[in-house]
Amino acid sequence: MYDLIIIGGGPAGAAAGIYAARKKLKTLMIAADFGGQALASGNIENWIGVEKMTGLEFAKMLEKHVRAQESIEIKISEKVVTVEKISDGFDIVTDKNNNYQAKVLIIASGGHRRRLDVPGGAQFEGKGVSYCATCDAPVFKNKRVAVIGGGNAGLETAIDLMPYAEKIYLINRKNFFTGDDALREKIKRFSKISAIMNADVQKISGEKFVSGIEYLDGGDNLVKKLEVEGVFVEIGSVPNSEFVKHLVETNPKGEVIVNHKTGAASCPGVFAAGDVTDAIYKQNNVSAGDAIKAVLSAHNYLLNIKI
Amino acid sequence: MPKIRIYTTPECVYCRMAKEFFEKNNISYEEKDVSVDDEAREEMIEKSGQMGAPVMDIDGKIIIGFDEEELSKILAVK
Repeated sequence: MYDLIIIGGGPAGAAAGIYAARKKLKTLMIAADFGGQALASGNIENWIGVEKMTGLEFAKMLEKHVRAQESIEIKISEKVVTVEKISDGFDIVTDKNNNYQAKVLIIASGGHRRRLDVPGGAQFEGKGVSYCATCDAPVFKNKRVAVIGGGNAGLETAIDLMPYAEKIYLINRKNFFTGDDALREKIKRFSKISAIMNADVQKISGEKFVSGIEYLDGGDNLVKKLEVEGVFVEIGSVPNSEFVKHLVETNPKGEVIVNHKTGAASCPGVFAAGDVTDAIYKQNNVSAGDAIKAVLSAHNYLLNIKI
Repeated sequence: MPKIRIYTTPECVYCRMAKEFFEKNNISYEEKDVSVDDEAREEMIEKSGQMGAPVMDIDGKIIIGFDEEELSKILAVK
């Protein structure tokens, strides 16, 4: 039996791993990959201490640091399917049908991208509907595209498409962009980008590939259509909490509710950090910090120290 | 040795991971950067029936995206 199992290999999981090793906890890390959602980031320019790096460089940096720890075992390309409470801890089953037991858990399983839930959204995924501008933007060279979402990710996607697309419609449900001021200013300078505010996407249409998008214009309540061949979706993320929902309290978004002082979830012995939790700010640096807090609390819990 | 052609875009992390996988296993491949090669871009869409990178053509077998386990099986590497 392990002292601690960490579920996840993003910034939260990696930070937890390094701190667990420093506390000499017998630790197992189970993760689909290193880097988590940050892996697919084009550029990361806000990780403290590093001016600029790609998501892949970030993932490798985390991996190297975790693998340098002696007391940690690592299972990559493995996903946790269920977690059950047992008398002296927890039992975990993975998609490779492995069983692992630990006295305490750190849930750092992050989130995954929210899919566009309208007719045609799933049907045209990969056939014009994309969730990765850094991967697919060049495929839409000289084509007309729509970006859905006005947060940082949506604004960055529109900018990523600038060198390639012929025309970019930035479709936003609210009447203002929630993304950072610096990005909003940048967007305004590009005449190729047209913002469509107060617009609710209704349908993606096409035959073999996407040929258009329909939205409800909240201004005049009319359904309007744009001819586009690409639709880039940036409408937030969904927490990867399915496998622990029966064990710990979650909020309506599915986020694990934690005590923000300690990282403790509602079930004693379970701690959580990063995008899977109800932390307000989904940021790499915040996830790492919260995970450290969770490990220190888990360590105290194992020693029966009340804080 | 199988004949491998990989269609890539410059910033795509899964394209890089696929290329690193080939290099790690000493497997030679031909790369087509679809951000600059219009003909290759059309070829990639035509072959894969979709518009995402990477796409790999391994002796005529079309693979979309990077999955290390799947590639290892196809190329019989450990």
